[in-house]
Amino acid sequence: MTLRRWTVALWALAFVTNAAALGLIFGYAPIERQMGAVQKIFYYHVPSAISGYVLLFLAFLFSILFLWKDEPLYDTLAYSSAEVGWIFITIVLVTGPIWGRSAWGKWWVWEPRLTSALVLWLMYSAYFLLRLFSRNDARTARIAAVVAIIAFFDVPIVHKAISWWGSIVHPVKVTLEPAMRKTFFVSMLAVFALAAAFLATRIGVALAEEAKLQREGGR
Amino acid sequence: MRFFRAVGLIFLKDFKEEIRRKENIAASFLFAFLSLVLFAFALDPTRVDMRQTGSGLLWLIILFAGSLFMGASFRKETETGTLLALLLCPADRSAIYIGKFLVNLAFLLILEALLLFFAFLFLDFRVAGALPSLALAWFGVTVGYAALGTLFAALVAQTHGGQVIYPILLFPVLVPLLIAAASLTQEAVSRGISLQNQWLRLVLLFDILFLTASTFLFEYAVEE
Repeated sequence: MTLRRWTVALWALAFVTNAAALGLIFGYAPIERQMGAVQKIFYYHVPSAISGYVLLFLAFLFSILFLWKDEPLYDTLAYSSAEVGWIFITIVLVTGPIWGRSAWGKWWVWEPRLTSALVLWLMYSAYFLLRLFSRNDARTARIAAVVAIIAFFDVPIVHKAISWWGSIVHPVKVTLEPAMRKTFFVSMLAVFALAAAFLATRIGVALAEEAKLQREGGR
Repeated sequence: MRFFRAVGLIFLKDFKEEIRRKENIAASFLFAFLSLVLFAFALDPTRVDMRQTGSGLLWLIILFAGSLFMGASFRKETETGTLLALLLCPADRSAIYIGKFLVNLAFLLILEALLLFFAFLFLDFRVAGALPSLALAWFGVTVGYAALGTLFAALVAQTHGGQVIYPILLFPVLVPLLIAAASLTQEAVSRGISLQNQWLRLVLLFDILFLTASTFLFEYAVEE
């Protein structure tokens, strides 16, 4: 039961780090001069974006491994990380406009990073729709793996195309005030721990589901 | 040599079959024409500047009608049970993909030519002088579109609910292509395209990347 132990440990870590991050964000980090309190979304928005992209990258890697080795475990890992990644991209797409409303005066701006995150979200929504429709048999797993690989290759091109087409609002480089930087570091740790905890839980659920299916099939 | 022979045979088989069956051609071409007419009603071409909005509009029509056509390219094989026979034939699997890709490319190009003619007729979308650069741009975009469209058609052919999922799966991936197509069309009709055009390069990158990736991934997609 090592996975269960890992899951518990990760949730404990996520709990502690998130409590610390929230404490720092609201008690320690100074209020940004121009954007005001809304800027605090930044501490969760940016780490969520990084976690989302990393998880979808993992989904891509596991999809390749699955096609290559034909080992069902890789498929389980691929869609588990894709699902958690999708949730984090959703968090980014929800927190982004809230922040954007006060920073840019608009809920939605057709801007490269925002728009490519949206397109990525759409791709992975279709990926789950595919799995939803076809009841997760072995053939679906292969199809979904191909889709995940194509989607991954497409992301840089989407980003390039949208950056030529849209306007640039996201800052290229951010320099943070020391107290903000410390807070950001802790919140980064907190969100990563949360993402890892979610992933471990999702893998546990997926394995349990498969074990159940196998038991029923054997009967 | 054997490989190209197989590609040629599959191309001929599918091309003839489409012409004889007529249903896919009729459905998708008529749908494209209907969309054009509906857009005219929705936008009022007497007030909208077709040179500005027309390029994006035409590409939306091509995307929708094209997905209708390409979506059937493997479904008809699964419906009649001939996909297995195709897969069993002693040729490289990628030959099947390339053959199907070429058929889709050919019919999409015919569809685009007709659409352009009717857009001129009904919406006063003039391209006369820009025809060479427009042909170049549209050909490039269509290659990428057909490459992914054929692969995704193979993916969903054996899936429950494939017809519903096909466009939802395909269109997000085509976003860069659609942006490029709309920009290139607009540039072509207003001031022409040079070979150094950045969109043209993006389309070329897209075509090469996804044609190679699809040829490679196709074998995994249709494995029995």
